[in-house]
Amino acid sequence: MDCEKVRDRFSSLWEKELTPFDEKGIREHLSSCPECQREFEQFEKTMRWLHSVGEVEVPNEFLPGLYKKMEERKRVRSTKKSRKGWFDFPLPLKLPVQAAAMVAVVFLVLYLTKMMPLGEDRPTKTGQPPSPLSVGKKSEKVLAQKEPERERGTLKIPAEAPRPKDVGQAKALLPEEKKFEPTTPQAKAETKRAEAPSPKTEVLAFKKIESKEAAKAAAPSSEPGRIEKEWVVKRKSGAATKPPQEIVLKISDKERAVSQLRELVKQFKGEIVATEENGVLASLPSGSFSEFEKRLVGVSSTGQADKVIMRKQSTGDLRASQEVEKEAIGEKWREPEKVATGEVSRIVVRILLVQE
Amino acid sequence: MMTSPRVQKEIIERCKAGSERAFAEIVLRSQKKVFNIAYRMLGNSEEAKDLAQEVFISVFDSIKDLREEGKFDAWLTQITLNHCRNRWKYLKRRQYFNSDSLDDPVETGDGDVPRAVCDPSDNPETLYEKKMIEQLIQRGLQKLKEDQRELLVLRDLQGCSYEEMSGMLGLPEGTVKSKLHRARMDLKRVLERAAHQKEEESLWIVKK
Repeated sequence: MDCEKVRDRFSSLWEKELTPFDEKGIREHLSSCPECQREFEQFEKTMRWLHSVGEVEVPNEFLPGLYKKMEERKRVRSTKKSRKGWFDFPLPLKLPVQAAAMVAVVFLVLYLTKMMPLGEDRPTKTGQPPSPLSVGKKSEKVLAQKEPERERGTLKIPAEAPRPKDVGQAKALLPEEKKFEPTTPQAKAETKRAEAPSPKTEVLAFKKIESKEAAKAAAPSSEPGRIEKEWVVKRKSGAATKPPQEIVLKISDKERAVSQLRELVKQFKGEIVATEENGVLASLPSGSFSEFEKRLVGVSSTGQADKVIMRKQSTGDLRASQEVEKEAIGEKWREPEKVATGEVSRIVVRILLVQE
Repeated sequence: MMTSPRVQKEIIERCKAGSERAFAEIVLRSQKKVFNIAYRMLGNSEEAKDLAQEVFISVFDSIKDLREEGKFDAWLTQITLNHCRNRWKYLKRRQYFNSDSLDDPVETGDGDVPRAVCDPSDNPETLYEKKMIEQLIQRGLQKLKEDQRELLVLRDLQGCSYEEMSGMLGLPEGTVKSKLHRARMDLKRVLERAAHQKEEESLWIVKK
């Protein structure tokens, strides 16, 4: 018998698993082979030692320690759960919620970015920073204004390109401008409903009324065209600097009110800088301005100008606007139209006419 | 070969139903077995205690999934072995078992045992010798491959049958037997080498 084969059966021999015949053969080999005999002795010893190893005792406090661990796990798990909170939605619920949130964010951003540049644009159009009143009302009319603002955004294009060459182009753009007006019936309704609409919305309301009237009078395109030109001229002459004052007048007959205004302005040694579809832009010597204001009330059908706007502006903006005015005079007005020369300070006022 | 008392079917059923008392009973009945397997596999009492507790946490969490109550012991042993394998890997990565010498002090629960060599031919009669032998075996087991150690622990220390081992390890009985034999022979060689080293050392000391 081969030594290797005998050694492979040590375990079986030791466990007494061998058939008597096999065991006899191995025993015979062992007695004849001292090498294998020594090997088996060592094997036996190893097994004896191995089996002499008893069980060790479990350390004290095993079960209490286990309970403590389990408590800790529970706590960690519960805090994890509570920390996850509503984020722990199932996926089919989570996805639409997230998608909706994304869309909402995108719209919000679009809305805000649309608001901001128009906020800057407003003063150049209406000729002054938004009045406190209109700011106050803004929140109420955010939705109503959204539409007009979009319109305004397109209107801005001809107004911001006031080179003489562009006048023709501006005219060409006018039909487009008209096209926009009927598309905002909502805005129309809104502005009409508003009791004291902000100057901005009034502009639009008037444009609409005007265009309707103009259509009746069969002279539709002349008026907006002229405005456009005036804007261009104004810009060129520097009068496009923000008119510091804005007065709202409620009138019953527009034609008459305008002619009354013209006279009044002349009377105070001022001049009409521009006639707009919804009002008049007038330049007056600052000294006679307060008197002019008082007289202005007479023109109004209700016997009062919108004093809220006036007062607030005259307290806050007067000085600053006068300075702006001086600057404008000094730099630009000198050459083309000698509207003002030298030291005489002037106030530019926009009179908005609100048809009742 | 001592084995822990078998856990009764009825207790397992109560534990499945959520009885904490039944769980405590299961722990008390099988903690020794679990702890001993862990201790022999890892060679460290603290690690073994921690691991055994983890095993029972796993048992608590998953006893609902145990279908055959009669196989609780095998199931428990399998969980223990799985935990041991993971812990072994983890400790190895962290260079926990980085000593090569069999003569390094071994933790036996009574503090470090002084290095001593016994002649393998001696019978372990005294307590001291017994401790020494246990230490040598523990050291030798750590030198073997993990699967070899598992076989020796299950068969020679826990007294499992080949049938049980075959089921727990997912190996045919014949394979279990042959692998076990190789493990025993390897352990023998390891012990011989350790004794040989000691002899040489003591000879060298004597010559000096």
